[in-house]
Amino acid sequence: MIANPYNSLDWNAVIPLLVVSVTALAVLFADLVARGGVKRVVCIAIGLAGLAVAAVLCAKSYGQSYSSFGGGFIMGGFTVVFEELIVLSAIFSVALYSAVGEARHLAGSIALLLWSAAGAMLMAGAGNLMTIFLGLELLSLALYCLCGMSRRTTARESALKYLILSSTASGFMLYGMALFFGATGSVSLAALANPATAASPLFLVGTALFFIGIAFKLSLVPFHVWTPDVYEGAPLPVTAFMSVATKAGALAVLVRFAYATLPSIHVREILLPLYVVAAISMLVGNLAALAQTDMKRLLAYSGIAQIGYILVALAGTTALGLRYAVFYLAAYLFMNLGAFAVVALMSTENEEGSRIAAFHGLGWRRPWLAAAMAFFLLGLAGFPPTAGFIGKVLILASAVGAGYAWLAGFLILGTAISLYVYFKILRLMYERDQQRAAPVVENSSALAWVSVGVCAIVTVALTFYPLVPSNIIPLVK
Amino acid sequence: MPGTLPVAIENYIALSAVIFFVGVAGVMLRRNPLIMLMSIELMWNAANLLFLAFSKMWLNNAGHVFAFLVITVAAAEAAIGLAIVVTVFRSAKHVDVDEVNLLKG
Repeated sequence: MIANPYNSLDWNAVIPLLVVSVTALAVLFADLVARGGVKRVVCIAIGLAGLAVAAVLCAKSYGQSYSSFGGGFIMGGFTVVFEELIVLSAIFSVALYSAVGEARHLAGSIALLLWSAAGAMLMAGAGNLMTIFLGLELLSLALYCLCGMSRRTTARESALKYLILSSTASGFMLYGMALFFGATGSVSLAALANPATAASPLFLVGTALFFIGIAFKLSLVPFHVWTPDVYEGAPLPVTAFMSVATKAGALAVLVRFAYATLPSIHVREILLPLYVVAAISMLVGNLAALAQTDMKRLLAYSGIAQIGYILVALAGTTALGLRYAVFYLAAYLFMNLGAFAVVALMSTENEEGSRIAAFHGLGWRRPWLAAAMAFFLLGLAGFPPTAGFIGKVLILASAVGAGYAWLAGFLILGTAISLYVYFKILRLMYERDQQRAAPVVENSSALAWVSVGVCAIVTVALTFYPLVPSNIIPLVK
Repeated sequence: MPGTLPVAIENYIALSAVIFFVGVAGVMLRRNPLIMLMSIELMWNAANLLFLAFSKMWLNNAGHVFAFLVITVAAAEAAIGLAIVVTVFRSAKHVDVDEVNLLKG
């Protein structure tokens, strides 16, 4: 402990994270070396290869369970599952850069996206308050830059909004962490599990502030106001990445906090405000989605509702509920990123194809693309045969089983409203469009089409083989 | 309570709470993004003060380390924040978030 505090096992735990970070440097270096037209291909290829290597290395640790860096980073099934989801969302987002995005910023964008993914992965394995904060800030700082990386004025505006609101939320969370430290005298999450601390007023105020920070990152109502604006302004691959990876990272922190840290006798009362917020999010998210005219804004509001569904699975903090929550998060990843890939394929040289009006008559102009979009929207609405359907059934079962039937009721109500949201788009796509001329140039990026295909296949496959990982109980020591 | 402080811990908590709420009020009420960034720093540093006070109280150096970590991250955040403010307001004559209103909110 004195001579060499870290052993090789410690470094093994963070190897996937290091691979992702080093890949970001490799992409920047390739940008310097490569010339002309190959630059774009090389940067994307290196990014995808690095992420694939990280995914494989990460999967090797699935069966293990150990803590490293003095409890700062915990490796195990739980961390592996969340890291894989984050890496997957990064892979799909990098692939979208082949369809949209300005060539001038490409290498920088991919590098920042990878660093941001590394931050989210750090959050997934964080075992003490310091690593949570560091992961959160690595994720956020890279995202502020990414949001502004476009020539459009709205992009820079979204970066400013995200910066100010997110830093404020981080401030709340940090103050909460300082109060936790005051209540326990330790920065490790394990120290909070002591039932005696739950009575301390420092702990209670700290928990409230900590939840505000987490709710902001998960974009739960009433901390959701930034989400549609930032999603609309940011470049499309960044929006796609944010919609899954930020939420996965924050959810991992929340789950570790709720399952492994809170003293079990008080857990129901402490988490109750979170369930109320989830219920409101499901309603407000779907209702606000009704009025949107931009696809990115619509998916932002739909994401607000979807994260509410995931929190319903966590109600009662049962082990089964956690497995279903992870399953639904995975299903959401594929359905949501599939929809984003379709939007990427709609974009032209000068414009991202996110206006909903542009989807008018799509079913007659580009039938395959419209079919894919219809499929992903039905998935988000929760129709069979998609993973969204089976995921919602599992969540309902777990919530009712845990004695939270009222939350299940809100889920059904939210889903009913969301049907209208998604069917509106479906009707628009299959309406005959008389006056519109044929589009000038169709975007047919191969990588984006592969993303659409993979997302669609996995969404169907997860319905028939609902992989619910068993080895995912989070540990704190 | 293991450690000894020059004054009671409640005083540190009260002072840091006041600084924190000054920061929150600054973010909510001021319209100049530079002042808003300064207010955010105030919130973060209120947390730092608390970390240091508790660190002394519990005789645990982890709080000191945490405060240094926060200072480092805050520096990075300020660098990025100022860069973003410059890019947004390069074309505008004066700096006011009410004029940044292309996105509806």
